[in-house]
Amino acid sequence: MTRLGALIRKEFAQIRRDKRLASSLIIPPTLQLLLFGLALDATVSHLSLGVIDWSHTPESREMISTLTESKSFRIGGYYASVRDLEADISRGKLAAGIVLPYEFARDIRRGTPVDVQILLNAANANTATIAQGYAEGVILSYNRTLAAAGIRPKIRVVANAPPDQRGLVSTLTAFLYNPGLVNAWFIVTGTFGILLILNGSVVASTAMIKERERGTVEQLLMTPASTTDIVVAKIAPLFALLMLMSMFAIGLMRVVFGVPVRGSMLLVVASAGLCILCGIGIGTFVATFTKSAQQAQMMAFFINPPLATLSGATTPVEAMPAWMQPITWFNPIRHFTIIARATLMKGSGIDVLWPNFLALIGFAVVLVSLSIWRFRKQLG
Amino acid sequence: MKRIFSQARKELTQLVRDRLALALALLLPLMLLFLLSTAISLTVHNLPLVIQDLDDSSASRRFGDAFRSSISFHVVAWPPDRQPEAALTANAARGVLIIPRNFGRELARGANPQVQLLVDATDSNTARIVQGYVNQVTNAFNQTSGAMAGATLVGAQVRLWYNPGRDSPKFYSPGIFVMGISMFPALLAALSMAKEGEQKTILQVYVSSISAHEFLLGKILAYMVVAACEWVLGMLSLLTVFGLHIAGDPTPLIVGSVLYAFCVASFGTFVGAGIPNQAAAIQTVALGGFLLVFLLSGMIFPVENIPAGLRWVSYIVWGRYYIEIVRDALLQGGGWPAMWFSVFMIAVLGAVFYFLAWLTMRRMQVNA
Repeated sequence: MTRLGALIRKEFAQIRRDKRLASSLIIPPTLQLLLFGLALDATVSHLSLGVIDWSHTPESREMISTLTESKSFRIGGYYASVRDLEADISRGKLAAGIVLPYEFARDIRRGTPVDVQILLNAANANTATIAQGYAEGVILSYNRTLAAAGIRPKIRVVANAPPDQRGLVSTLTAFLYNPGLVNAWFIVTGTFGILLILNGSVVASTAMIKERERGTVEQLLMTPASTTDIVVAKIAPLFALLMLMSMFAIGLMRVVFGVPVRGSMLLVVASAGLCILCGIGIGTFVATFTKSAQQAQMMAFFINPPLATLSGATTPVEAMPAWMQPITWFNPIRHFTIIARATLMKGSGIDVLWPNFLALIGFAVVLVSLSIWRFRKQLG
Repeated sequence: MKRIFSQARKELTQLVRDRLALALALLLPLMLLFLLSTAISLTVHNLPLVIQDLDDSSASRRFGDAFRSSISFHVVAWPPDRQPEAALTANAARGVLIIPRNFGRELARGANPQVQLLVDATDSNTARIVQGYVNQVTNAFNQTSGAMAGATLVGAQVRLWYNPGRDSPKFYSPGIFVMGISMFPALLAALSMAKEGEQKTILQVYVSSISAHEFLLGKILAYMVVAACEWVLGMLSLLTVFGLHIAGDPTPLIVGSVLYAFCVASFGTFVGAGIPNQAAAIQTVALGGFLLVFLLSGMIFPVENIPAGLRWVSYIVWGRYYIEIVRDALLQGGGWPAMWFSVFMIAVLGAVFYFLAWLTMRRMQVNA
């Protein structure tokens, strides 16, 4: 134990002098959390709407103002011809267009159903899905106001249908856990998970390689310490540093983005620790396959994108193709983000999150022992 | 001119010998294209939903069946004696629909029953989509059950242009294609330039008869060739695997691509000249090429949502203009009238990077 303690002290002393490591543990995570949290916002609002109003009546203007009084749409311009509107949608000046026909007001007054045309630029599928929902919702509520004003379609009477006795079902939606629909909460908790793994792996691989590049590994091997001791001593200070970084990141999430803490903080911190161990394991493993720090960094380009994207950290897993979704269960980031989100925002406890926590423990044990095994094999 | 070509040939020879770098240059962009464009999407389907039917009448079951038959949801079984909210805290469902007691009676009486929808809003975008889907299914139920059939005086005819199937990969894959091209040629250019500085081979360049412009143009030309190879491979997969096709006039795309290749190669050379340390140069290019292009270019998340204080940054993000060009060429087909400004901006940014690379290279002489 004293041998291990001495080795750990040596590693700490080495790291303390490494200014670049310390700054690389503070500056990039801060920047990434802030940038991702502020800029990655999928909220669809203020879509510019081009209007063609051939009706020019109070009714048509009311329809347009109902559409634009919410934050979803804003008027991007009035057009006289469909061709101009089309050109501006294709130029990207407009995200949507609405065409109100000449007979709009006349038909409403008569009680004849009338259609308006809504054109959406669906190049971005998410925007189109949400914009379609908005537009249909607005028109539904416009219909309700018409009905409330006593304007009802007469077509049913003409068709001599029996008066309908059944009512309308309406849904009352309650957004739980994040009633303000703050998108940043989703993004920063996901980014945090990615940061733990990526930073853990980068820091670990550079630390492991540095010793080899300088040829000082042999000196370490000549000491009576076992290889396991050497690896553990290498990991311990990195783990401590990364834990500090994660505390800092949690503080940032709390203070800058106002992420709530509704469950046990201990569970989040413990899973963050397990995630860091996974990251260190991945980094050490990569380091044993490469010859220089530069090569390790290049290898990271192959490993990090799949880890970050197949995690549900920044995009929902349900949006992935069905065959891809099971793969995400083999990603520690997935389990961590589930734990972090459920604990922080929903207040869930270990009683429902234990499978994810167990999975994290499993990954950490497997990855760390795998890396120790590779390291020993390489030295032997 | 001849010196430029021989410089470029020397760079390419060096590159081909480094297996890992070559794989990085040609395989990784393709891997990213396939991986990210299938995995990154925000349009969710088949969301888990719990229906708690407290009424258990034929009407309420019919209402529940409307959700069971929609492709947007799959209904998850949840024991009726457990709190419905627990389904959300246990991550078993994205939403809970609670059908109240007497739902069927009220409906038959002609009253307007309300059902409650609890949505897990930890992911706000998905929460909005869940709400939209539930409303759509409810409207469809109202219409088929008769009460709404005549009540819609104003109908909406929604037309989805350019991507009627709302196929997410169609939108994202051009962006990811651009990200690959923004990153790897720049990365390799920065590495080779930083290596010249690190190993002091830049001094040999100074004593040779090659001029600074010839040297830089030669390097840039070599990495433009790399970018062109990536471009061809990526474009082929976009056109075949992702089912995109060139819409309209291809000339803005061609001119823009050549200028863009120049722009990213100059950016890489500039970074490499400024930071004569390979590891640090990689990090800087990754930060510039990946983070900026990924975040601030409107690749996934709309530029309009970036807070105003940060939005100005996106005006100098070179990838943003090229994404506009590629998307226009593959989806919208606006041609020159829509795209001249983006092509112009790429040319301007390319010139700026070239000038900066030239300036920093002159300083390298002093340092080395």
